[in-house]
Amino acid sequence: MTETRRGCPVSHTDYTGHAPILSHYGLLDADREEARFLYNDTTERGFFMLQRYDDVQEGFQQHETWTTAVRSALRPGLGEPLLPQDLNGQPHVKLRRILNQFFAPAAVRRMEPMAKQRCIELIEEMKGAGSCDFVKEFAIRYPTDMFLALLGLPVSDGEQFLEWSDDYFGALLAGDPGRAEAAKTSIMKYFDEAVNERRANPRDPKEDMVSRLVQARIDDEALTHDEILTICLTLMLAGLDTTRSALGYIYAHLAQHDADRQAIIDDPTLIPKAVEEFLRLYPLVFQAGREVQEPQDFNGLELEKGDVVWLGIAQANRDPRKFEDPDRFDVARHNANQHLAFGGGPHRCLGMHLARLELKVVLEEWHQRIPEYRIKEGTELMERGVQLSMSSLPLEWDV
Amino acid sequence: MFIAIDESKCMGHGRCYAVAPDLLTDDDEGFVAERGRCWELPADLVGQAQDAADACPEGAIRVTEAAPADA
Repeated sequence: MTETRRGCPVSHTDYTGHAPILSHYGLLDADREEARFLYNDTTERGFFMLQRYDDVQEGFQQHETWTTAVRSALRPGLGEPLLPQDLNGQPHVKLRRILNQFFAPAAVRRMEPMAKQRCIELIEEMKGAGSCDFVKEFAIRYPTDMFLALLGLPVSDGEQFLEWSDDYFGALLAGDPGRAEAAKTSIMKYFDEAVNERRANPRDPKEDMVSRLVQARIDDEALTHDEILTICLTLMLAGLDTTRSALGYIYAHLAQHDADRQAIIDDPTLIPKAVEEFLRLYPLVFQAGREVQEPQDFNGLELEKGDVVWLGIAQANRDPRKFEDPDRFDVARHNANQHLAFGGGPHRCLGMHLARLELKVVLEEWHQRIPEYRIKEGTELMERGVQLSMSSLPLEWDV
Repeated sequence: MFIAIDESKCMGHGRCYAVAPDLLTDDDEGFVAERGRCWELPADLVGQAQDAADACPEGAIRVTEAAPADA
């Protein structure tokens, strides 16, 4: 007899382990096709899984009653304060309004020359070596430098910063708060000094994010010092690992699919569409969590207050009901840009336009300089669960 | 043909003005500046309008034969 919970088949799929690359998408596809809704019992709280495109999309619209009191169905107990994520309703809208202007397309376009310059410097630095661990040496350094520049902090702090943020984020995803604490202390001290410096010497708040945060008022109240530090930490957590991971999957794909790589070498104007299709095909944040605040019937699924809901981002992005032949990379796919890789509703990723720019610039500049490359022979590519990432991607090219 | 953009559904993904640059523009916060409006499309922009509607993950944009009664 099939085990059920409130009418849902129960799934025991564990999404937190390390596994060969792309195997999590296989698990996600299988769960999505098994039943429209599942109950997963592998975590302490358990969660109801929304998996098909229309349900996931609709789930993101339930923000009045499903809140980010749980942000990840897989890590519901993660007590790390994040802003603006932890806010919902009007307080969330008001804080997003302060930050939005730094992440809107117009602001992001202003960063393009700097993004290009830094990207070219990093590529030129490693080009002569004929090989690199793409994930460790390039894919994380680039977004780290961009993050520091975005905040108005010196890019020369990148190396040190990278060590802290990697340690911190790795410990958090592994569910190891003790190990995370030490790294966090160093990061917060660094932000604390930067914020104090801006309090003493404010710059143009239209251009300098920390100055803007220091001067901002919400309902006539300034943000507290701790809130500003939390926002800085949140932006770091949201932007570095994700961009690194996206680049890892994109380059693993391009190194193994010569025709797709050749297409963007021959016609670089395809790159923005390719980025969108890569985001659809390889979403790293493969789920978002929400906590139900009042009893509700959601398309036949009976939810109670306190339930954890899984919004299956990758399952939606690879749902054959929405995307034809979904596991195939198709640069000409007409509806690729309806993917949910950045989530949806009011909490959709604040940095999505910046992420798109960063990915586009890398693909353009890299392929101008290193058009041919391959994965080092004998490499076994592995991925981390919870939030997908490769720890290593050794690439080689002829010099 | 008419286009209507539902202000309450728009979440600022910015996909619409990216695919319909001759029809739609962005505001300082990255939302489409024309949200909340409904207007008749010039014939040469119907294609872009359809692309914009298809690109919106929130389903906030509708392209219709007649002006929608509720817009």
